[in-house]
Amino acid sequence: MLIDSVIIVLRETLEAAFLLSLLLAMTHFLGMTAPRFRAAVLLGLGGALLFDVTLHAVFDWFGGIGYELANAIVQLLIYCAILAILGLLMRGRRARHRTQTPLRWLMAATVALAITREGAEILQYFSSLTGQTGAISDAITGAVIGAGVGFSAGTLFYYLQLTLGPTRALRTAAILLTLVGGGMCAQATLLLIQADWLPAQAPLWNSSGWLPESSPLGQLLYALIGYEATPSPLVVGIWLASIAIALLVALACRRHAAVNTTAP
Amino acid sequence: MATTTPSPRGANRSLARTCRRGAILLLLSTSAAMHAETSAPPTVELRLQNHLFEPSEIHIPAHTKVRLLIHNLDSTLEEFESWDLNRKKIIFGNHSATVFIGPLAPGTYRFFGEFNPKTALGRLVVQ
Repeated sequence: MLIDSVIIVLRETLEAAFLLSLLLAMTHFLGMTAPRFRAAVLLGLGGALLFDVTLHAVFDWFGGIGYELANAIVQLLIYCAILAILGLLMRGRRARHRTQTPLRWLMAATVALAITREGAEILQYFSSLTGQTGAISDAITGAVIGAGVGFSAGTLFYYLQLTLGPTRALRTAAILLTLVGGGMCAQATLLLIQADWLPAQAPLWNSSGWLPESSPLGQLLYALIGYEATPSPLVVGIWLASIAIALLVALACRRHAAVNTTAP
Repeated sequence: MATTTPSPRGANRSLARTCRRGAILLLLSTSAAMHAETSAPPTVELRLQNHLFEPSEIHIPAHTKVRLLIHNLDSTLEEFESWDLNRKKIIFGNHSATVFIGPLAPGTYRFFGEFNPKTALGRLVVQ
């Protein structure tokens, strides 16, 4: 029970911790006042409670696929927030005084949404232990350890980013944020395939021979960028399209900023 | 030679054009793969009781989409998960849930209950 709890909570915490450390590093190098991440974490925890309650209510909607739809919506909202962050980031240093406030709000919203999603899964795990009094203490201990390891990994990653120069760090963070966004779209696509709202297809490849999803690295990559060992063409297509859209948005905003800077 | 700088208005139009292209790209990537189903897939039922899947081995035909109907007969919730099938779904206690799987190539695909991984284990045999 202890080990199961560590693994479950670690998996859920890692995604939120990774996103939080990416955004924190960005604010550091942009010289921004840090967004209200503490408030975002609290809001996310409250959101997790609300999401869990909402899930009970919507579970049977649309022929029993409310769970898939609710989770897909949250993932797509995170993706949209990431797109907006990338766009504002690309507006450049000269527009920073105008973009700082919306950037802070978007970053806080992204963190709150990620914690809502991951927190709800942890809450669901604990509700599954109702009635098992002996298991609760082991589960709590495991959860503390798992969360501790997850946030420690996030902290380590934050300081690793600080060792890069500002330009390289911001570029790396933007690339990783794009990959996280792509992962969100891929996971949302899988949920809609599971709900039979999108067609299921034979996998495009099978990489489970050299990197199974069940392996620690496979699970880490799944949590961070939506790695799938057997993705269908649709999942790959949507992942690529979401990356392409993020790049288009970033380039368009950069060009827009350049034009506004040179315009009389 | 004189050079012209695009005006802000022109840049806004360009931005709008880029966003439109992005939306069309996303729409095309999903709509190209969508098709209409004319018949309901067969249903296979699976029960979860005392954190055990019954039956623990299910057989389904190859290359056929199947509706897996999972009845959680326990009072606590469980998360049906399978890395092999790319499926993951919470099933509340004393509740049923639907998960669509397939079409699958012949083989064996494992699934488990994430909250009770030592006992809630099962295999899907596709022939």
